[in-house]
Amino acid sequence: MPELPELDPVVHGKLRLAVLSLLVGVEQADFTWLRDKTGSTDGNLGAQMMKLEEAGYVAMQKRFAGRKPQTLYRMTPAGRKALTKYVAALKQLLGGAL
Amino acid sequence: MMANFEAEDGTTRDDLVQRVALMETMIAEGRRNTGRFGWIFILWGLVCLSGIGVSYLLPRSYWVWPILITSGFVIQFIGIAMRRRSGNWPSENLKSRSIAAVWRMMGIAIILYAAPAGVTNTVHQIAYIAAIFMFLGMAHAISAVILRWRAQGMVAGLWWAGGVATYFVPRDYVITIYVVEMVFCMVLFGVYAMWLERRRAASEEQTNA
Repeated sequence: MPELPELDPVVHGKLRLAVLSLLVGVEQADFTWLRDKTGSTDGNLGAQMMKLEEAGYVAMQKRFAGRKPQTLYRMTPAGRKALTKYVAALKQLLGGAL
Repeated sequence: MMANFEAEDGTTRDDLVQRVALMETMIAEGRRNTGRFGWIFILWGLVCLSGIGVSYLLPRSYWVWPILITSGFVIQFIGIAMRRRSGNWPSENLKSRSIAAVWRMMGIAIILYAAPAGVTNTVHQIAYIAAIFMFLGMAHAISAVILRWRAQGMVAGLWWAGGVATYFVPRDYVITIYVVEMVFCMVLFGVYAMWLERRRAASEEQTNA
């Protein structure tokens, strides 16, 4: 019997998975936009973004829009690879039903 | 096959199915164009209508168009800056960048085309007006194809029809075509786009609630 693949725990978290799925379709995204789309709170999203950043799956950039600070995130090649691997693992676990 | 699957950490098949659904929803959300640009059509429609109105009342006022166009750009710049500051600005994806590029380049082309015509006082020639209609029709058509938006495709058709018609109607009617196009294809189209944007925002709020 083939061994079941392991799911990357960093990607598997619901909010982190939602963020990575959002980032895969855009070039970069503002923190506020991610918060609104995921329906999350500032604190929770901030903590999860830090985990993704530590894993090297997203890159953060701070800048000013006028006088207001803006935090932008984009997915890194490592993040894209991790998500692809996660989807492949899901496919295998769900028996190719995807 | 994996109906009874349960991982060591307690992850069940239902959890995995939920993750798949979550990914699908979020990918679709990320790709959705959430920009609010209807007001820009209204703004430029009103700028052009004001220009025609003032030029009609003061036919020798050559300063009218430069002042109105500059004012239009200033208002648009302020509007976009305000949206950016409020965080109410869409994230960039390939689709949104393509559409923004079409309209920016169209704007540059029209300015480069109209400015020398204004300086040399050739703006009253039929070909000049027809070309403006064709520029606008082309931008709308490209945007309609990218967005797969039939209403905008119809607007493009109206601009092109107006451009063709200018060659065949008596000269006095050209201005009427211009006004009708501006009212329907800029102002009313902008109002329609804003209505759709508000409806989409309300539906998103309901979904998130």
